[in-house]
Amino acid sequence: MLKRYDAQKENIISAGIDIGTSTTKLVISRFSLMNMAGGTHMPRIEIIEKEVLYRSPIYRTPLLTASSIDIQAVERLVREEYITAGIEPADIKTGAVIITGETATKHNAEEMVHSLSDHAGDFLVATAGPDLEGIIAAKGSGAYELSKRTGKTVANIDIGGGTANAAVYRSGRLCGTCTLHIGGRLIEFSDGKIISISPPVQQILRLWGADLERGDSRNHPIIGKLTDYMAEVIGRMLRKDLHREDLPLLLGHDPNWTEEIDYIMFSGGISECLYHFENAESSPAQYDDIGKMLAQSLRNCRELAAFKWVEPDETVRATVLGAGTQTTEISGATIHAEGHELPIRNLPVYQIRFDNNLEKGLHQITEAVKKAVEIYDPQQEGQNFALYLTALPYLGFRDIQELSSVLLKSLQAKPMPEQPLVVVLESDHAKVLGQTIKVQETKQSIVCIDQIKVEHGDYIDIGHLLQTNVVPVVTKTLTFHR
Amino acid sequence: MNPELIEKVTRLVVEKLQAQETSDVNGQKSSAAVKFWRHTSSPGTQPSRMSEEVIEAGKQDTDGLIKIKSYQNSNAFKITPTDKASHDKTESYSGKTGIDNPADPVELEALKSKTPARIGVGRAGSRPKTDTWLKFRFDHAAAVDAVYGDVNDELINRLGLFKVNTMVNEKEVYIRRPDYGRKLSEEAKKIILAKCQKGPAVQIILSDGLSSSAIEENAEDVYLSLQQSLKSLGLDMGTPFYIEKGRVAVMDEVGELLKPKVVVLLIGERPGLVSAESLSAYLCYEPRKGTIEADRMVISNIHKGGIPPAEAGAYLGTVIQKVIKYEASGVSLVKKEG
Repeated sequence: MLKRYDAQKENIISAGIDIGTSTTKLVISRFSLMNMAGGTHMPRIEIIEKEVLYRSPIYRTPLLTASSIDIQAVERLVREEYITAGIEPADIKTGAVIITGETATKHNAEEMVHSLSDHAGDFLVATAGPDLEGIIAAKGSGAYELSKRTGKTVANIDIGGGTANAAVYRSGRLCGTCTLHIGGRLIEFSDGKIISISPPVQQILRLWGADLERGDSRNHPIIGKLTDYMAEVIGRMLRKDLHREDLPLLLGHDPNWTEEIDYIMFSGGISECLYHFENAESSPAQYDDIGKMLAQSLRNCRELAAFKWVEPDETVRATVLGAGTQTTEISGATIHAEGHELPIRNLPVYQIRFDNNLEKGLHQITEAVKKAVEIYDPQQEGQNFALYLTALPYLGFRDIQELSSVLLKSLQAKPMPEQPLVVVLESDHAKVLGQTIKVQETKQSIVCIDQIKVEHGDYIDIGHLLQTNVVPVVTKTLTFHR
Repeated sequence: MNPELIEKVTRLVVEKLQAQETSDVNGQKSSAAVKFWRHTSSPGTQPSRMSEEVIEAGKQDTDGLIKIKSYQNSNAFKITPTDKASHDKTESYSGKTGIDNPADPVELEALKSKTPARIGVGRAGSRPKTDTWLKFRFDHAAAVDAVYGDVNDELINRLGLFKVNTMVNEKEVYIRRPDYGRKLSEEAKKIILAKCQKGPAVQIILSDGLSSSAIEENAEDVYLSLQQSLKSLGLDMGTPFYIEKGRVAVMDEVGELLKPKVVVLLIGERPGLVSAESLSAYLCYEPRKGTIEADRMVISNIHKGGIPPAEAGAYLGTVIQKVIKYEASGVSLVKKEG
């Protein structure tokens, strides 16, 4: 019998952990990688399937005090969930820990996310930032897929306890993001009385000249007015028409997309209040806050009714699914990466644009390396960085040799030139460039990968070399494809 | 007719057409709307400026569909500063040579950017537009040239190769008698035996095959990169040479003569209308007379718009290493590996 020709295949396990304002959750998924190129081509490894193996219950985020996270409790929680899922930390080849909403403002947030990414997996990437939250949630909720499938402009608004993170996609291209201080936990109750009001809401109340204080009844009429107002602000944000008095609720930049939005989708805890996807048992955490009223206000809001609403695939788990399944990219299959240098974490990216002109590009390299050192390593402590070479012209072999020697020469500007030279290429030249550098300078350690889209100023993490000779890469900031 | 003359006349006609259109619009010189496939450089990505201006000007008076006004009415095409500013956003699409009034120009451009195939070219009545048609004719002519052309001796000398012949003496015979292209001439056998190292790990051969342009444009980068790759892997590569008017199976005869472990044959592919200069690298472990095709393997589509030649050379090194390790190629290699 004829043996069937099986394309090269590999499975890897990915974890996603989301530590949000109100809740913490985790997912474990399996990626199937396969060589998608025909037999007569160079291999092209792609993620062909993502299967979610395990979803944790939704836990209340453990806090020590109002301003600090209980790191040990979070780690214990993650460890126990791994055991339930039947997974060892060493099995986890990629994934992301994301710290979201107000939790990101706790004083030990950074320590938390780094310690977790170190302990909870071989290559688990620490991420944070309101724009990234919005993007990851939009990918987890299905908004990104919807835009890709329909070609429409879709806004995903992920509203959790502390923030509402909007990301707008059109045909799978990110158009922009915006974050607001709008969430369920901005006013909390206990025994029917208000126990906390977050500062942005206090500002709004002051602007209104309204009087609402701790200890007031949860049935105070101003609260209903407030959630209605929040829904209207979301509507104005989607139209890029925020008023001056709305600004206390804006976190970071203004809405920065230019497209008109066709569809809107809500994810996050508030979306759960709208759609009720979860089993009651899977959510031991109960909330005593304005979440349900906010959901009601969204439903009744005229501004929002003008858009076409689409139900999300996921509500409260959108961000964790996004973090677990949508953050990893796979490099080109013909690369040059020295295994002992990997994984590399938190590497800032310095972009060098060639503008299709080799001469011009080569001239920039030395200067660029000097600048990259100035920016990323001002204290000369040895913070490494990746050089991202874009808009390269067609490169013949002799051009590669020239590029390689210029790169090697430019390394002298680094405080520690013996550090691995990390080069990321847009075009498919990584193997030949890596090999050429190695021939020219055998002692130089090199990680040269290609077919990854990043941006100047992004941070990237590069994982271990897989059996299929690719590396997983996680990029951690915005990628606007205009 | 003489192919060079055809090319010259085609160019003249196209340039004339374009010069007219340009002056109709606003008297400015702009880049040609038809892009000639330049054999010496990568295809340009700059769209025609002229076309954008036409589209942008049309945009002023309607929100929905874009109207293209008569080309004669040059006053309509005054560009206001705001229009200029918005050029950046629509930069990547050229309306004139493509579909008139596309419903979603951004999406159309995204689709077009995914393939070199002639999609979204629009039409005039039931026929292609003149630019599209001329481009098609031009690409066809380039394909014919690639088959009938010869590889420049200068390149062969620069790579330090020597040249031998198959039993074919002219291109017509080459096309009609594939079997002749698989056999070396008696003289060739003598030269090879006299000049080449016997029993190397890797024997590299180049041949024009069905596209001389493939060798002229891409062989050097593949060859130099492959050479470097083999050197780094510590593989001995014998004495490479060039076979004129060869077919893939000519490697079997070379295998018989020199007994290398692996033969790598860089040969021009049958040209198509997207690229006339695509190169293939055929590999075989110990090819001999009677080697079956299933034991050969190939990396194809090596050209500037496909697999980058320099990268292909570097990758070939690792494939050769695997072939030597498993002492098999093609289907046998897959069996042994799995």
